Amino acid sequence: MKSMKNKALNFKNTILFKSNQLFFLSTFAIAIMFSSCKKDDPEPEPAVGTTPGTSFDNGIFVTNEGSFGTGTGTISFYSRSSGSVSNDIFEAKNGYPLGNIVQSMEIYNGKAYVIVNNSGKVEVADGTSFASAGAIIGFTYPRYFLGINNTKGYVSEWGVGGVLGAIKIINLTTNTVTGTIPTGKGAEAMLLAGTKVYVTCSGGFDNDSTVNVINTLTNTAEITINVGANPKSIKMDVDGKLWVLCSGQWDPTYTFLMKPGKLVRIDTATNTVDLSLPFASTTSQPSNLVINNSLTSLYYSYDGAVYTHGYNASGLSSSAIINRSFYGFGIDPVNDYFYGSDAVDFSSNGKVIRYNASATVVDSFAVGVIPGNFFFK
Amino acid sequence: MNLFKVNCVFLLTGISFSGYAQENVADTIRQLNVVEVSTSRLILFSNANKSETLDSALLDRYTSSNLADILLNESQIFIKSYGLGSLASSSFRGSGANHTSVLWNGFNLQSPMNGIIDLSLIPANFMNNVAIQYGGAGALWGTGAVGGSIHLSNFSENNKGLTVSTTSSFGSFSDKQQQVNAEFSKKRLISSLKVFNHDAKNDFPFINSAQYGKPQQKQTNAELKEYGFLQENYFTINNYQKINTRLWYQSNDRNIPPSMTQNISVSNQKDEFYRATAEWQRVKEKLTLLIRAAYFDEFLSFTDSLINIENKSRTKVFISEGETRFSISKYDLLNIGVNNTYSEAITKDYVENAHQNRTAVFASYKLHSKNNNWDVVLSARQEFIENKTIPIAPSIGIKGKIFRHFYIKANAAKHYRIPTFNDLYWAQGGNPNLLPENGWSEEASLEHLYNLKKISWELSATAFNRNIDNWIIWLPNNYGIWSPENILTVWSRGLEYKAKINFRKNKFNFQLSGLYNYILSTNEKASTANDASLDKQLIYVPIQNVQGSMTVVYRGTMINYTQIYTGYRYTLSDNSKYLKPYSVANIQVSQTFLICTSKIKVFAQFNNLWNETYQVLAYRAMPLFNYQIGLSMLFNQPNKK
Repeated sequence: MKSMKNKALNFKNTILFKSNQLFFLSTFAIAIMFSSCKKDDPEPEPAVGTTPGTSFDNGIFVTNEGSFGTGTGTISFYSRSSGSVSNDIFEAKNGYPLGNIVQSMEIYNGKAYVIVNNSGKVEVADGTSFASAGAIIGFTYPRYFLGINNTKGYVSEWGVGGVLGAIKIINLTTNTVTGTIPTGKGAEAMLLAGTKVYVTCSGGFDNDSTVNVINTLTNTAEITINVGANPKSIKMDVDGKLWVLCSGQWDPTYTFLMKPGKLVRIDTATNTVDLSLPFASTTSQPSNLVINNSLTSLYYSYDGAVYTHGYNASGLSSSAIINRSFYGFGIDPVNDYFYGSDAVDFSSNGKVIRYNASATVVDSFAVGVIPGNFFFK
Repeated sequence: MNLFKVNCVFLLTGISFSGYAQENVADTIRQLNVVEVSTSRLILFSNANKSETLDSALLDRYTSSNLADILLNESQIFIKSYGLGSLASSSFRGSGANHTSVLWNGFNLQSPMNGIIDLSLIPANFMNNVAIQYGGAGALWGTGAVGGSIHLSNFSENNKGLTVSTTSSFGSFSDKQQQVNAEFSKKRLISSLKVFNHDAKNDFPFINSAQYGKPQQKQTNAELKEYGFLQENYFTINNYQKINTRLWYQSNDRNIPPSMTQNISVSNQKDEFYRATAEWQRVKEKLTLLIRAAYFDEFLSFTDSLINIENKSRTKVFISEGETRFSISKYDLLNIGVNNTYSEAITKDYVENAHQNRTAVFASYKLHSKNNNWDVVLSARQEFIENKTIPIAPSIGIKGKIFRHFYIKANAAKHYRIPTFNDLYWAQGGNPNLLPENGWSEEASLEHLYNLKKISWELSATAFNRNIDNWIIWLPNNYGIWSPENILTVWSRGLEYKAKINFRKNKFNFQLSGLYNYILSTNEKASTANDASLDKQLIYVPIQNVQGSMTVVYRGTMINYTQIYTGYRYTLSDNSKYLKPYSVANIQVSQTFLICTSKIKVFAQFNNLWNETYQVLAYRAMPLFNYQIGLSMLFNQPNKK
């Protein structure tokens, strides 16, 4: 750039008295300025992790929500066999982004159903190649997908205002919404037990405290179970009992939890709560309930750490198994490895840290922006 | 009588009647104001800073535009626009949107809630002069003057008689604007009123590359309706004393369009404000006294029924400022002042209604050499927030003529930005223990100015350096609750070049200008362990920016062509994703006719001439080719002698 300045100065000194040439020279000077500037354009680093994988079997899918505001979510794939990571596999394969806030994904009958929350859609793709097979539209803040049978799936959603709550019935052959089952506010996680689906009503942008039980044969909500403030996740243990993690409720000024979190157990025979374990903290909400492969040990986040809970334990554990918090986590049913996600500064690529069954760090790998959920294939 | 008619016809047909038509007609249809704001600290105490002035002749080319459009085309500030008619904020030298202080006749307009001002809500027609000062200047302008400051000013000239002007324009995407200015100017009293109305659908077509099959779509939910007025009174009490009052009211009702990755948006934002100011000036050779006060009452309502949000807020800001200016010797000038700013915000989103009382004392001292070729300015500001002292902000600047037509400027200044109400009081997560962001800015410029009868030019090169410590960002804490902390340290440095050449050839007047920036603005402190954003360029800070423009004026005809190139902008803090560079061209054309004491101007503006598909912010659609055409009329009846 220095040379440009000198040229400009020289130019002036030499042509002071040749005003007839001035037009050409001044145009020339500006042209030099422009051309010399363009040359220093930095070659930005290529976007990492757009390596297009070809088939995604035997591995772990990570849904990355994407930057807040105007960003797009992505999906990363970790191969169990090679340990390699493919990032942004959907756009790499299909040439367009998934959309704003990728909430979760599920593979059912060979098809991947990716829930794109803020865009109000479910992108459908081949479960192995990730080639797009169209999108299901007609949702308002969808959260999770659950396959019921070959032709039917359920998608939970928060609805308009995030305060309605419903299960949308999906025809998996035509990829269309065929019906709506109203639920409590903020329909969130779903669990299929026989012909019943248990739905946690997380409150959405408001508050709720129930689990709704839906009969999949009639597509109607039959029973409402009161569990505790704002239930988010639900898992079934080896005894067939259901564990529900309630995140608690803030006071109107958001300074303390007027209803602290709770871990509760539902007996599916009676559809009643037979155990309720309250958390002590009035500032920390428990979250992220997952269960190991043998369905005997639950994992959850609480007070900046990860705790476990044996399915037959009568009280909450007071010692953490991993002393840090994660944005999301999951347990690999193949080897009980724990996958925890770190969103770092929430505006750059996140990472996933792997721990073995005895909670020792194995390794970590880079994924997309704000990794939130896992799907183990 | 016949001769008079003939003259009028001559003018209409473009045959020169007097030199006046060649020089000024095309520049402005407004009355050119030669009155300078002689009382401004900007003129007197910041001549060691790089600055630019957009005068009323230039602003007149942008009659139907807003401040964001003008700065985009005429300055080296990066304008972050969310789309046509949407929020537009500024990034000076790689700083954030809340690092620009926008002062209207000396009063800071930044919102106490978020520290930002939406530049798209400032109609160009309401301002007589826009000055841009680059670089931090905490001593002169207080909080927020970190990246730079924008000074909007109003003034008027006495004894011009009655002047009425109107402008109507319409453009692409159902854009309609009307403006009426009326001014009554006597020997001692001036009273003026400016009114505007603006409606637009902004339903422009675009290719949605974020959707399957890249369909062509029309922008939805982008309607805009704005209107407002600015009423001013100037009264000359005697040879030394003047008072003025201003009242600016505006109502803006805008829908907020979806991003390309969203399906729909039902968001709406309403901004309504009253800004009232009064000023008393006593200007005498030995002692100048200035007392001014302002009251800003602003309402904001954001609704989105899809996510159940209905945010309403109201802020009230009272500013009072007193300044005195005098010389101790023949070679100096001293300015001492005090500012008190009381702000409050009423909103459900805060734990309690927020209020803050701030007092600052500031002083500047300028010493100039005997021959006026060298100036040194020392300034400092000490601010107290609710009786708590924040670190003093000093600055030192020097300007000198090194030899004929060559000048150097250099300065070092401390800058600071106090945490906003959102940072302090947001429920939940607000952090009352935040410290102000602060740091130092340094810059040095070399300028070459040359003026001949038929040619003049201005060349300048500036190098700057700036650190911002305790940069506030929001991150989730251990409990998963989003909360602001004083985390980042940002180091910005860069080079800026400017070249402007004016020359006349026969009856043609040419103006060429080129601007170039090279800016690095990097994060120097990890916010978490293994933070990949360390040493990386901040998001949405283009490293390079180039602008070139050419204006030709021939009698009453003006043509301007401007091309702006914006380089790569990273969208993730670890710089792993970016938006491609883009280059957009605009053309302005106008033809002015004089009909006796009236002027008529027909103008047209063509934007994005070459149909560039681009994104300023990720997945925010921008319009392809679009236009605006309009007609202005000005009538002046001088006072009877």
